[in-house]
Amino acid sequence: MTVSRAFWKIALKNIGTIILYTNMLVLFGTMNINSGSTTAQFEAAKPTVVVFNHDKEAGVTKGFLEYLNKNAEVSKDYADDDRLKDALFYEQVTLVIDIPEEYHQEFALGHDPELKMRSSAGYSAELAKVIVRRYLTAAKAYSTLGLNDNELASKVEKSLEKEIDVELKTKADTAKYSTATRYFSFANYSILACVITIICLIMMSFNRMEVRKRNLVSSIEISKMNRTLLKNCCIYSLGVWALFVIIGFFVLGFDVLWSIHGLLYIANTLIFAGCATTVAFLVSQFVTSQGAVSGMMNVIALGSSFLCGAFVPAEYLPGAVLGFAHIMPSYYFIDASNKIMALEDYSFASLLPILINMAIVLVFAIGFALITNYVSKKKQKIA
Amino acid sequence: MKNVIEVKHLTKSYKQNKAVDDLSLAVKEGEILGLLGPNGSGKTTTMNCILSLLKYDAGDIKIFGKEMAPDAYDTKAKIGVVFQEVAVFDELTVYGNIDYFCGLYIEDKATRAQYVEDALKLVGLEENKNQYPKQLSGGLLRRLNIACGIAHKPKLIFLDEPTVAVDPQSRNNILEGIKKLRDDGATIIYTTHYMEEVEILCDRVIILDHGKIIAEGTNDELKALAKIEEKVTVEVAELSPKQLSGFEKIKNVDSVSYEEGALKVVFGKGKNNLAEMIEYLKANRINYSRIFAERPTLNDVFLELTGKELRD
Repeated sequence: MTVSRAFWKIALKNIGTIILYTNMLVLFGTMNINSGSTTAQFEAAKPTVVVFNHDKEAGVTKGFLEYLNKNAEVSKDYADDDRLKDALFYEQVTLVIDIPEEYHQEFALGHDPELKMRSSAGYSAELAKVIVRRYLTAAKAYSTLGLNDNELASKVEKSLEKEIDVELKTKADTAKYSTATRYFSFANYSILACVITIICLIMMSFNRMEVRKRNLVSSIEISKMNRTLLKNCCIYSLGVWALFVIIGFFVLGFDVLWSIHGLLYIANTLIFAGCATTVAFLVSQFVTSQGAVSGMMNVIALGSSFLCGAFVPAEYLPGAVLGFAHIMPSYYFIDASNKIMALEDYSFASLLPILINMAIVLVFAIGFALITNYVSKKKQKIA
Repeated sequence: MKNVIEVKHLTKSYKQNKAVDDLSLAVKEGEILGLLGPNGSGKTTTMNCILSLLKYDAGDIKIFGKEMAPDAYDTKAKIGVVFQEVAVFDELTVYGNIDYFCGLYIEDKATRAQYVEDALKLVGLEENKNQYPKQLSGGLLRRLNIACGIAHKPKLIFLDEPTVAVDPQSRNNILEGIKKLRDDGATIIYTTHYMEEVEILCDRVIILDHGKIIAEGTNDELKALAKIEEKVTVEVAELSPKQLSGFEKIKNVDSVSYEEGALKVVFGKGKNNLAEMIEYLKANRINYSRIFAERPTLNDVFLELTGKELRD
C-alpha cells in the first residue's frame, strides 16, 4: 500500500506532463481533423464569355442569351478585337460567340445554323462549349414540338434546371473515419510521451541506488514491491488510454467511436498503450536523470511519430523512411488505424490485416518485456 | 546481556582485494558500538554484509539469534538503517518520505502517523515537514535521512557515517538524537571516521584497517593501548637548539618537536608532567604564550597501531 501511495504521489507531482500531452492531442488532433475534412457541396464554375449578337433578341436567341447570363460570366468589355485576342490568349475570356443575323429564324426552320466560336486553350473553354452545346441541343429537341418562343425558352430552361444527384458509392466511409484515424495516429505521440515520461520518472525514483538499498533492507519483499510497481504502471497506462478514448468520444463523436470501427480503434490503442508501457520499462533501466528521461522520450515519441506517419500521412513519406519505420511498433499501430478506416466489412478476411498488425505490436511488447527482464537481471548481478 | 549481532569469520573480497578479512564481532543489546576506521577500511562493506546487501565469501552472521539472509524479513523488521548517502524521494515531502519508509514496516495508519511525528520530533524537523528535500539544507537533509531510517522504532540501528558534511548545529542535533535512541533501548552500530563522535557516543569501539579488526574495547581500554600519557603543546616564539634538547631531559618525555612556533612534547607515562615542564620553561627563561595539554585520542591509538592517521 505504501509503495502504491508513493507511486501515485510521484505520478501526481508530474501531472503537468499528462496535461501537456493531452492538450497537444486535442489541439493537433482536432487541427488535423479540420484540415482533412472533405467538402459536401459543389458550386459550378462560370466561364467568362463574350457574345457578339447580330441577331434580334427573339426566339432561341433570346433564350440562349438568358441562359448564358445565368450560367456564364458574360463580359461586354471587349469591343476591340486585338484586346479580345489577348484576353483569349491569357484565358481572361474563354469563349467568344458570334450569333449571326437571322439565327433564331433559321433555327426555327430546323436549318441547324452555326454559331461562330473562338476559344482559349484549357479546361474553362471546354466548359463554356459544353454550356452552349447543352442549351442548343435541348432547344433543338423542343423546337420540333411547334412551340412558340416563350414556351420553347421555358421548356428548355426547365429541362436544363434539372440537377442530377451524384452519390459516391463506397462501402467504406473514409471521410467519417479519417478523423478518428488522424486522432489515433497522433495519439501515438501522446501515449508514448505520457507513458514513457511518467513511468521512467517514477521508476528512476524507486531505482535510485540509495532508495533501492533502503527498500532492500526493509521488511517488505522486494519481489512484492516490484509486482506492486508493475501493477501500478499498468494501471497508469490504462488510465492514459482511457483518458484518450474518453476525450476521443467528445472530439470525434459518439457515433464514430461507438461502432465496430470505433471499437477496433480503441482495441488497437489499448494494445499500443501496453506496448508503450514495456518500452517505458526498458527505457527506465538506462536513464538516471530527468534530462535523460526527457531526451529519450523525445527520441522515441517524436522520432517514431515522424517516421511512422503520425504527424504526416504515410503516403507522403519516402519509401526508405517507411521501410525503416517497419522496425517500430508505432508503424503497425498507425497502419492498423489506416486499415480500420478503409475497412469495408467485418468479415474475418477483412479484419485479418488489422489483427495481424495488432499481433505484431503485441510481439514487440513481449520482446521489450523480455529485454527489460534480461537487462534488469544483468544490472542486479553487477550491483 | 545477550548478543544482538554475532559475526564469525566474515570474509568478503572484490577480485584480489580483501575488503573484509576473517572478521568476527559481537554486539551486545543496548550498546552503541563504534566501527572506526579510515576510508576503505571495510566499515561499510562489513555493514552491507551484515545487512545481506552484499554476498560474502565466508562467515556466519546472526542477528537476534537468527541466521541473516536477504529473505529474513522478520529480522529485517527489527532493523533500521541510515546510509551514508541521503536516500529519499525528491518528489515526496519530508513527512511523505518518513511516512513512506516507515510504511515499509508499519501498516497501521494511526500507529504510523504517531511514529512519523515522533521521528520528526527526534530529528527536529517538525517545522519542515511540508518541505521537499530540495528545499532543505545539507544538515536538515541528513536529519531527514536519519528520520527515514529510524521512524519505525527499530531495535537495532545501523548508522553509516550520518554526520558527513553536516554543520555543527545539525551534528549536535544528530548526536543527541542517537543518544536518545540508545536511551530508548535501541542497539546501535555507529560507523564513522570521526574519532570525536566515537568518543562522545560509543560504549565500545572496534577499530578496523584493511578489513581487519586491529583493536577493540571501550574508549579507556583503547587509549590504554597508546604508549603515551599526555601531549603538551606550548606556543613559543623563539627556541634555540640547546633549549630544545633540554626538554628531552625532562622526566617521562618521549619525544620533542618544534615547528612554526609550536613546541610539542609527548610524555610516555607519569603524573604531574605539565607542572615539571612549566618549571623547566621558567628556569630557562623561555617566553611562552599558551599551553595545551591533551590526553591521547583514538587517533593516537590508530597511529600507534598502524603508523598512519585515521584520516589518511
